[in-house]
Amino acid sequence: MKYQIQIGAKTIDLEIEDAGKAGTVLATVDEKKWPVSYQTLSANTLHLAVDGEAVRACLARKNGEKHIFINGRVYVVSEKDRQAGKSRSKKNWEDSPGEVTPPMPSVVVRILVEEGEWVSQGQGLVVVSAMKMETTLKAPMAGKVIKINTALQAKVMPGDRLVEIKEEARDDG
Amino acid sequence: MFKKILIANRGEIAVRIMRTCREMGLKTVAVYSEADAAALHVLEADQAVFLGPSEPAQSYLNSERLIKAALDSGAEAVHPGYGFLAENAEFAEACAQAGLVFVGPPGSVIRDLGNKTVARRIMGQAGVPLIPGMMTTSTDPQVLAAEAERIGYPVIIKAEAGGGGKGMRIVTDQTALEETVLSCRSEAEKAFGNGALYLEKHLQRPRHIEFQILADHHGKVAHLFERECSIQRRHQKIIEETPSPLMTPDLRQRMGQAAVAAAKASGYRNAGTVEFLVDQDGSFYFLEVNTRLQVEHPITEMTTGKDLVREQLKVASGEPLSFNQEELFQQGHALECRIYAEDPEADFFPSPGLILFLQEPSGPGVRNDCGIYAGFEVPVEYDPILSKLIVHGPDRDAARQRMIRALEHYAILGIRTTIPFLLDVLKAPAFARGETFTDFIECHFPAWKQSEETAELAALAYGIDERTGKGGQTERMVFKGAPSPWETLGPWRMVKS
Repeated sequence: MKYQIQIGAKTIDLEIEDAGKAGTVLATVDEKKWPVSYQTLSANTLHLAVDGEAVRACLARKNGEKHIFINGRVYVVSEKDRQAGKSRSKKNWEDSPGEVTPPMPSVVVRILVEEGEWVSQGQGLVVVSAMKMETTLKAPMAGKVIKINTALQAKVMPGDRLVEIKEEARDDG
Repeated sequence: MFKKILIANRGEIAVRIMRTCREMGLKTVAVYSEADAAALHVLEADQAVFLGPSEPAQSYLNSERLIKAALDSGAEAVHPGYGFLAENAEFAEACAQAGLVFVGPPGSVIRDLGNKTVARRIMGQAGVPLIPGMMTTSTDPQVLAAEAERIGYPVIIKAEAGGGGKGMRIVTDQTALEETVLSCRSEAEKAFGNGALYLEKHLQRPRHIEFQILADHHGKVAHLFERECSIQRRHQKIIEETPSPLMTPDLRQRMGQAAVAAAKASGYRNAGTVEFLVDQDGSFYFLEVNTRLQVEHPITEMTTGKDLVREQLKVASGEPLSFNQEELFQQGHALECRIYAEDPEADFFPSPGLILFLQEPSGPGVRNDCGIYAGFEVPVEYDPILSKLIVHGPDRDAARQRMIRALEHYAILGIRTTIPFLLDVLKAPAFARGETFTDFIECHFPAWKQSEETAELAALAYGIDERTGKGGQTERMVFKGAPSPWETLGPWRMVKS
């Protein structure tokens, strides 16, 4: 079985073949070939012997990805061709600068604008708070606030469009 | 001694206080908000009282509801933990007025020490060394500019009501002073409703060293040595240790005496912490007194063998301190790492959410003060601290290696935590050499990213997990809002009001 594994910006080619005996496989990771034996200890823990060296891995699934713990480090691991179903995450937030959405799950503590108001680019619109840290969500472009989709004390998630702005030049006439 | 204590806090510290109460045979009452209906501190208590909505002002910061909960449940004392109302003089006084024992100093002492310039005056009179600076406050940029000239640049602007780095700014020369004063003033007004500022000389690369003190109601005061808290991010501690790598027996004795003098001068009662800055030439200066149990108190417990919560409860119930200064000594070395729900790759942004999997470290000399479990949803409303990992070893390097071993076994999946970052700090040669300064993280780990040294193994684990089909799935536990008191109350009784 072949997998194209994605960890952050890194892509790893993985191939796992039967090694004849139950609980043993031959793994090819990029250029390296490793004989691997494995034991599934629980739904969340795997014990591996990779080329004879013991490795304990802990796993959990979230949004079509796996969070994998190895020796104190946690990797968010997915398959390249399976990323379509990935849900809203911080990356999506960074990729969509045109949206007024919180970078993390948070609570709305102040709303600085009203519907119908003109805003300039970079103007503060909504202040959200997560774990006592406040973040001001700013206008991605100049325009008119056409809709506010939130309220004070509302719990909001990345991907929620809190304020909708229609980009247009201000008619000063 | 009391029979029942209400713990006016949440998370790991509430759980930690309950452990000592249980060992002492005292019943515990937890309090909780909507977001914490299934929190660990609620599950660990003998009894739990619902306070209100998740917003802190409606729950953990609501003095009236807390006092009513204590009276209704028949508790005789209130332990405030740290944070929330722990350093709130009005709350301490309201407890006393309601006939409840507040486990901490009297309200008047909290008020005096909470006001930075009043505290400086008290300490100055007692002969405790002060950072050169102002003894009164001002809101006038002209007055502050003249004071800055007198003290000499660089200076640090601080707010009288300060805390958490708000209204605090370093100024290196006079051109920037006036404007910085104005922005500090408005920040302090917004945060504390008090724009009064004062100036202190800014020390270059100081170390942050604090002394644990205990004072009973019979005039006896002892210190339980120092804690070094120099490794910080955003002015908040992240790794603490004791003894300090910098300390000499002579300096320890002089600082310990100053800490005891500070406690006596302020009429201190119960457990507290005197914070000092230590300059590069080894001179030390009073910074502030924290009038509560500190987050990092366990490292003192590990090296002195004293249970500080037990001592707090004994002192609060009127018992004298059971030991003299000469009977106290430090054994070995202890380290604490704070495990926060934060993304260290994204400037320590908060990372609340559902814990999918938890594997806690254990073994010789390892203590994990933990407030979470797999299936718990870490709320967005509160402090990001999940747990504190504490280790004790025969010497500093043994403790450091023990901490690395423990962190390498500490798995929290589902949210981001500081664990991978802490590992790199502990492995850093500068940390191993004991070169801990308050700018350590900016110097050695700016824009930290996790190394990918074991990424290939993670890829392999992914593939094997796919193959075995177990899939690492965690069933989500569903909590339907706040359970009714009938579901959460442990042993209970009706109280006539």
